[in-house]
Amino acid sequence: MSDLSQMLGESVQRLFGDHADAAAAAQREGWQARLWQQTQELGLTLTLVSEDQGGISGTWEDAYAVLHPAGFHQIPLPLAENMLAARLCSRAGFALLQGITSVSPYCEGALRTDGSELLFRGQVRAVPWGRHSEAVLTALDHQGHLQLLLLPLAAARIVEGVNLAGEPRDTLHFEACRPLGIAPAQEREARQLLEHCALMRLPQIVGCLESALVRSIQYATERKQFGRAIGQFQAVQQQLALFGADVAAVACAVKAACRAASTGDALFQISAAKLRANQAIGLATASAHQVHAAIGFTGDHPLHHATQRLWSWRSEWGNDRFWSERLGTMVALRGADHFWSDLTARDDESAGHA
Amino acid sequence: MSTFSFDAVNLPPGVPEFRVAVREFLKRETAGIPPHRRINPWGVFDADFSRKLAAQGWVGMTWPKKYGGHERSAIERYVLLEELLAAGAPVGAHWIADRQSGPALLKYGSEEQRQKYLPGMARGELYCCIGMSEPNAGSDLASVRTRAEKLPDGRWKINGQKVWTTQAHRCRLMIALIRTGGYDEKAKQVGLSQFLLELDTPGISVRPIVDLVGESHFCEVFFQDAIVPAQCILGEEGDGWKQCTGELSLERSGPERYMSSIAVYLEFVKAAGPGPVDSVRQALGKVAADIWSLRQMSLSVAGQLAAGKDPAIEAAIVKDLGNSFEQSLPTLVQTLTDAGLDLAQHSDLAKTLGALLQISPSFSLRGGTREILRGIIARGLGLR
Repeated sequence: MSDLSQMLGESVQRLFGDHADAAAAAQREGWQARLWQQTQELGLTLTLVSEDQGGISGTWEDAYAVLHPAGFHQIPLPLAENMLAARLCSRAGFALLQGITSVSPYCEGALRTDGSELLFRGQVRAVPWGRHSEAVLTALDHQGHLQLLLLPLAAARIVEGVNLAGEPRDTLHFEACRPLGIAPAQEREARQLLEHCALMRLPQIVGCLESALVRSIQYATERKQFGRAIGQFQAVQQQLALFGADVAAVACAVKAACRAASTGDALFQISAAKLRANQAIGLATASAHQVHAAIGFTGDHPLHHATQRLWSWRSEWGNDRFWSERLGTMVALRGADHFWSDLTARDDESAGHA
Repeated sequence: MSTFSFDAVNLPPGVPEFRVAVREFLKRETAGIPPHRRINPWGVFDADFSRKLAAQGWVGMTWPKKYGGHERSAIERYVLLEELLAAGAPVGAHWIADRQSGPALLKYGSEEQRQKYLPGMARGELYCCIGMSEPNAGSDLASVRTRAEKLPDGRWKINGQKVWTTQAHRCRLMIALIRTGGYDEKAKQVGLSQFLLELDTPGISVRPIVDLVGESHFCEVFFQDAIVPAQCILGEEGDGWKQCTGELSLERSGPERYMSSIAVYLEFVKAAGPGPVDSVRQALGKVAADIWSLRQMSLSVAGQLAAGKDPAIEAAIVKDLGNSFEQSLPTLVQTLTDAGLDLAQHSDLAKTLGALLQISPSFSLRGGTREILRGIIARGLGLR
């Protein structure tokens, strides 16, 4: 872990550790403005922005250090979204906004010329915290070239939606919107916007899985039946061992994907990590609820803040079918003779680099 | 907050070039091996292949030069192993000596023992087996009853029996876990010692056991008043349990714990062609993600071992997930193959699949059963 990652991780851990009830507070009160302001004061949304543009020149591994605690504490804020959007805006030469910039790759519509201007008509779907945002960043094919668009919420008609955890997922309709920014998608993150939306969510998934695991272990050591803690029964131990192993697998895969994305093209690694994470979510949420039994099923118990997010995030930015078909297509097209050499080449490319 | 440690490993410079050299060797030396003989390659005994590999400097490659080794890095050795397994090379003869017995000698052996045995191992000529399990000591390994009694002249007299000893009928040397002290039901781990035993010693007899596919790769080994010299003890008398459980991270995290079935996946990719139906495409993708994830975990443990750590719980996780994965592959391929694959037919896919369906149940038995591993993981989680 780099010094930067460690420093970031510690300050984020302190901040979010003090707000471990933020998910419940958001369910009661809605938008957590004060906590958002504190993340801004720490400069967390600028993690991936270069220093000469006011950021801290972090890598995706540094982003992991920030987003993992956000997932562990189920922080109900568009931190990952704004982090990715800020990076892309700064690289595309768009001015960084004071308010929230969200992001979504799901854009349908077209640009048309109006005098010397380009106007967007269409919709952007599944925008996290769209209603709280100042703008949304998306990508659209225009005359055979992928364009990065920064669209102002002021021009949008908002159809509000929420995911299973109550996190805003809004659809934004635009009639004749003059983008705040428009530029060819040149950065890898821009050309592979969906993949990098998945990547930004992955450290949160790891944190969320770990929090469900830690709660389950804690509960299994406290709850007594038949005269002893339920965690002393082999059946429960074996179930938690499987749960723990799967969480470890996802953490390892996500760290590897973040590292790959920090140094080069990570299309395969991100696809594989999101699929692996999705598959672990099924086992993890089932095990966590089984161990917690009825108490974990109540609205008062905090377990559901983790499990509802995990169920939602499994579908968001590519479900199991999407990523497995994507990977399967890559494998089938390359054929059996290239499978192993492709797999090893991805890690060998960075051999010798610290 | 992270429960287990699986940080990514940095591959050292030179790895890509080394990999190319290994692949060229393997292309030449494994050309004639049919796909169904490439499954579970570390179970396939081929002394000629082991000698050729050793001639390249690729057996005992991390050991000191003075014992016949080549002082290469542990990560380079990992790269070699995964290439051998991916190619389905017959590495069963020297596998245990290279992975376990040689390192145990380097760690605990006397200078005399090292000089006597390590050079032969590194030449790919001296093969070893592991004498742990007994008829009444399987998962409950500390229950071993085979006894060594110290004679007045310092030699040892051994009586008892080992079982499921892989390749014992083709090996010269066994590292055995034997009771040298009393047996106390409440402290079974006390009073055990490791011995280096030459299997042609009078009083030691080896009987192969036929497995369910009709092959013999594991054995019973009997000790009847076998007299061995005092210097046969490995390490310290009474430290047997500690020494032998210290090997387990080496034994459980390697690429052989998830790659035993990769041949059937490659045959399946071949049969599927460039544009398979959706269900097959999804399966190909899921397996690719699993292989990639397991490799990252196994590599991470290799990196930790190379740095001198003992990631015992992480190794147990790699083995448990890896075994489940390599066992799931044959079933997955069987359920997806077009119109029901006739296992009696002679296609490469059918033969590979048929063989794997039968031997894959052993993957989660050898080297620590699934249930034992999950107990270890549960302990790591603080539940025991």
